[in-house]
Amino acid sequence: MPGADKETDLSERIESFLSELKRCGSGAGSLRGSAETARETTALLRRITAQARWGNAGELMEIIRKEGRRMTAAQPSETTVGNMIRRVLKIIREEYARSRGSSEETDQQESLHKLLTSGGSSEDNFRQHFTHLKANVIEAINELLTELEGTTDNISMQALEHIHSNEVIMTIGRSRTVEAFLKDAARKRKFHVIVAECAPFCQGHEMATSLCKEDIETTVIPDAAIFAVMSRVNKVIIGTQTVLANGGLRAVNGTHTLALAAKHHSTPLIVCAPMFKLSPQVPDTPYNHTKLKSVDTILYIHILSKVNAHCPVFDYVPPELITLFISNIGGNAPSYIYRLMSELYHPEDHEL
Amino acid sequence: PAATVLKYPLSNMAGKAGRQSRPRKADKDEEEKPLQAVLVADSFNRRFFPITKDQPRALLPLANVSMIDYTLEFLTSTGVQETFVFCCWMASKIKEHLQKSKWCRPTSPNVVHVITSDLYRSLGDVLRDVDAKALVRSDFLLVYGDVVSNIDVSQALQEHKQRRSMDKNVSVMTMIFKESPPGHKTRCEDDDIIVAMDGKSKRILHYQRAQALKKLHFPMVRCLEVGSDEFEIRFDLLDCHISICSPQVAELFTDNFDYQTKNDFVRGLLVNEEILGNQIHMHVTRDGYGARVSNLLMYDTVSSDTIRRWIYPITPEANFADQEGQSCTHSRHNVYREPGVSLGHGSQMEENVLIGRNTVIGANCTISNTVIGANCVIGDNVTLDRAYIWNRVHIADNVKVKQSVICDNVEVKHGVVLSEQCVLAYNVVVGPDITLPEGTVLSMHHPDEEDDEDEDEFLSDDNDVGYSKDKTKQKVFNPAEVGSEGKGYRWKSSSLDDTEEDELAECIWGLALSADPESDSESEVSEGSHDLGSHPASPELDDVKVFQNEVHGTLQRGLDENISCDNLVLEINSLKYAYNISLKEVMQILMRVVLEFPFQQQGAQISTAQYSSHLLPLLKKWAPVFKNYVKRPQDQLDCLASMEEVFLECETHWAVLMSMYQLEILEEEGIMHWFNQGSTTDKSQQLRRNQGLLKFIKWLQEAEESSEGDE
Repeated sequence: MPGADKETDLSERIESFLSELKRCGSGAGSLRGSAETARETTALLRRITAQARWGNAGELMEIIRKEGRRMTAAQPSETTVGNMIRRVLKIIREEYARSRGSSEETDQQESLHKLLTSGGSSEDNFRQHFTHLKANVIEAINELLTELEGTTDNISMQALEHIHSNEVIMTIGRSRTVEAFLKDAARKRKFHVIVAECAPFCQGHEMATSLCKEDIETTVIPDAAIFAVMSRVNKVIIGTQTVLANGGLRAVNGTHTLALAAKHHSTPLIVCAPMFKLSPQVPDTPYNHTKLKSVDTILYIHILSKVNAHCPVFDYVPPELITLFISNIGGNAPSYIYRLMSELYHPEDHEL
Repeated sequence: PAATVLKYPLSNMAGKAGRQSRPRKADKDEEEKPLQAVLVADSFNRRFFPITKDQPRALLPLANVSMIDYTLEFLTSTGVQETFVFCCWMASKIKEHLQKSKWCRPTSPNVVHVITSDLYRSLGDVLRDVDAKALVRSDFLLVYGDVVSNIDVSQALQEHKQRRSMDKNVSVMTMIFKESPPGHKTRCEDDDIIVAMDGKSKRILHYQRAQALKKLHFPMVRCLEVGSDEFEIRFDLLDCHISICSPQVAELFTDNFDYQTKNDFVRGLLVNEEILGNQIHMHVTRDGYGARVSNLLMYDTVSSDTIRRWIYPITPEANFADQEGQSCTHSRHNVYREPGVSLGHGSQMEENVLIGRNTVIGANCTISNTVIGANCVIGDNVTLDRAYIWNRVHIADNVKVKQSVICDNVEVKHGVVLSEQCVLAYNVVVGPDITLPEGTVLSMHHPDEEDDEDEDEFLSDDNDVGYSKDKTKQKVFNPAEVGSEGKGYRWKSSSLDDTEEDELAECIWGLALSADPESDSESEVSEGSHDLGSHPASPELDDVKVFQNEVHGTLQRGLDENISCDNLVLEINSLKYAYNISLKEVMQILMRVVLEFPFQQQGAQISTAQYSSHLLPLLKKWAPVFKNYVKRPQDQLDCLASMEEVFLECETHWAVLMSMYQLEILEEEGIMHWFNQGSTTDKSQQLRRNQGLLKFIKWLQEAEESSEGDE
């Protein structure tokens, strides 16, 4: 039975993706950058759309939501997965609306009045069957994939607008987006980059080596020296793990220190973040944003059982400390993030 | 519509999945073979008795997850695609557990086969079975079912493969060690080892357990024989009990039916290196975590390390075993809670606490460094510190527990105090109002049972056992031991001898009392007494002596019964293996024995002439024996060195050297080299100035010159 065969193949793929997600925290998994995670998630969702059994948009959304919940639970700190699921859900909604012939604008912008009068959830309306829906949805997901491929290029294209000659730029840790951004600017301009090493994993060292290869003048400093060096810095450019709904960041440990130092010296802080990092999560308690890794790296020897060691990986950076976001669709202020959010995701999908 | 799907370009994901599925089609290529693992889900010892009477060790919960799941997770994350689980003790329970777990789901990336037999008595039996059934096709990982690790072995695997492809089938095993200096918490003193390795090739030259060893006899010879420029002797290594083995390992176990443990295997292989030509290598890692839960102290350590996130990404909240309803939340101070936990008013979870689902905790409790299983009920005013409480345990009010293990279905009545290192095995009832002294072990099984039920499988149905016991040994519950309403037998005060009593307690908690900071003072005392008690007795030294006597006996017999030289060589060789003597030592001892032969026969005070007349026929007779051993220039030097040792006392017997030369046992280069070598002591310098010797050397030199002149 070819149908059953396809189904087991699909579930096998989902399982292997899940186990990889679970493992990628240790660095042993093959998923590296969040861009890659985003692409793989979207590709998997396309496969689900193509191979799973569904009759109408409502069923498809239900399937994707179910798998999405498992995927986000597998690695809660990797928000990209959830974001891509929301993007795909939004695509299905749009395609369904288009097939029905109604304009997507009216469907999305639900007024308070409409909400009150309609009562039940709009899910009931997704039960209609359209023959072309599957092809359309897959086509739209392919467009999303193309968009994902180009994000880093789109961001680094804007580099020359922000980096000027002889500037001193500070960054922290290693972000692939920032790396591409700086390298792009270095093709035309000469500037100096200071990299905070980001102990204990010291991704900053890798960053510095990579920048040096492009003939960028680079200095590595310990994290403790961030404040002292800040007075010389013209601009701080950082990457982030997630952009939260309020315009704040969840970024690599030490970013908050950096942001505060920048604020103190009134140095502009620019965040390079592709749109797929935008998450509808809001910050609650700071602790919930940290992912605690093995303490092996910071405490090599067990000193005593009485000593507790912690190794948080992420910092929460409040939106007040951020000057500008540079995404693949242009520069935005933190206060504008909520607007982008409503364009990217359907409000009903915020909770999967 | 299906056709349209195929049109779309294969994404990353598809590419990866394709790569994964390819090896299953069993390519002929060596590289493409799936990685296999052999998991031994039995410890073959009774360390965890009496707990393991009811549950095999691999299924004991560690941070509320069975130990075998940790091992399987480790194997899966290293890319193992096929695992053979070998079980013996309570095999059906392990099988049942695995069938329910995520490993036996069709989507599991790691295919688990369970192989059971009651006949396995050791690791050796298991590996012989692996060989008999021809289960492994290429290199495989060998682990025990109680190994907890997150070490990335991919690099070690690669090194192993590289070595195997370079030197076909010479290296049979790569052992994984974790760098951890003495005093490291995960070091288990039972397992302390001393390893000598070649600095460059990472080849193991010597492997010895350091347990209770006061003096290390180190065979420098073997290291020098190898001829490496640098070698390291290390004591800062922890054997993770993970080894990468080639299929030959299983074959070697079959060939050597006396190998029982991995220790036997490693030592046997190193000793026979010259004959079999097999080598063992090692891989030392600094990162990662690897430990074997070999006793309860290790259980304590590994549990607390799991909760303190040393084994990331294997942490309690990751729910890697994928069990229903086990997802827990992680909050500040490493407090983990599974769903349905209720905590009474005023109760505090201070730090490093894991509480299983649907557990109810009363008011004003203080809990720290503790793991509590599922469906437990804990009363008011309870203090728990370093307690490991398994499932369905009832603890009444005002109980204090310190560093103890409480197994499933135990009932602790009110007012009970458990001191350090207590163990309450399955279904025990304790109390009320009793203080259990340190190191108490209570079980529903009577210690005497052990001997009777030694061999049978003992698939216990709890009620049944309790019933039969009540019949045969009624009223044996001692209220002084378990409290007035208590049920259980104390294991420490058993019918065993006094000395063994301590051993039992040590066994279950391990020897490593000193690693436990809370019992520091006590362990110091015990260590002190240990020092006085046991004198350093190096077994190696004895072996050498015994060997020397045996060689002497053999030669004497050879002389009396006129045995041929070939047979003598055969006998000496077998002695060499029996006493684990290196080739160099054999040579030296043989030389010494032969040279002292006339003294032994005629007494020490014989003249030079008498000595020579006695020795020369013997030398002539045994020349083939010598020639068998003395082959390389280095051998000649060794020979001469031992000769020198003998003749330091009586320097008049130098004629022997001449006859040795004439019999072609020694060659002139060797003799010259030895003579010209800087001598260290006055005596040996004096010896070199001996007239007879000088004459001989001069004669040699002249002979050489004349032969050169001829050419």
